[in-house]
Amino acid sequence: MAIKTENKNGLTVCYVEGEIDINTSPDIKKNFEKILSKKAPSMVINFSKVTYVDSSGLATLVEILKDMRTYGGKMKLCNLSPKIKSLFEITKLEKLFEIIADEKDAL
Amino acid sequence: MNRQNDILEENITIPSETKYIREISSKILKILEARHIDESALFDIRLCVEETVRNAIEHGNHKEKKSRVRISYRISGDIFTVEIEDEGAGFDHRTLPDPTHGDNLMKNSGRGVYLVRRLMDKVEFNEKGNKVKLTKYI
Repeated sequence: MAIKTENKNGLTVCYVEGEIDINTSPDIKKNFEKILSKKAPSMVINFSKVTYVDSSGLATLVEILKDMRTYGGKMKLCNLSPKIKSLFEITKLEKLFEIIADEKDAL
Repeated sequence: MNRQNDILEENITIPSETKYIREISSKILKILEARHIDESALFDIRLCVEETVRNAIEHGNHKEKKSRVRISYRISGDIFTVEIEDEGAGFDHRTLPDPTHGDNLMKNSGRGVYLVRRLMDKVEFNEKGNKVKLTKYI
């Protein structure tokens, strides 16, 4: 899975498409390891084209967050569908992740 | 539409291989989509069926291909139920740590059963802990 990234005024915006689940998680993790190797200070993952997340997907996002925190990077999530947002609320991961409405709130 | 008398049920047995998980959930979702079940319930059912079948394969049967997982689903009126049974030793679901508490929040696993409990209307384990019945009012 290719993850498109854009740099917007120092903010790394990552566009993930499709499903973040047990099948795609290893690939997504690998992609983010590459992205984070540049030690982006601030990153937002845009979920506008993400259609499904399972418990493995949530775990992968936690891993990415932990990786970022090792060097003091900040990570936000935006454009989550109400359904996917509800998974963060149910699991209380909304306490760990900063969930914002859209990219412009991160700029 | 009166769905009350329209009962559909099927029993499926699969080897303990993760490649069958999507096949099972797609089959169930296709039937539910044809019944115009709302998107939110479809999402919940897909997630819960996939998480539970995966647990049966990986934690119940330890991916032993010879061990089977039995899936029996039933759609009756506005009630969807699915029973998923593995051939493992079972587990005590009451001792699972709460993934939303303290340090568990940062852990990379342990959210599957928790999500299933929250997204389904009823979750019943047998005493041995190798069979679970999920119910969702659709």
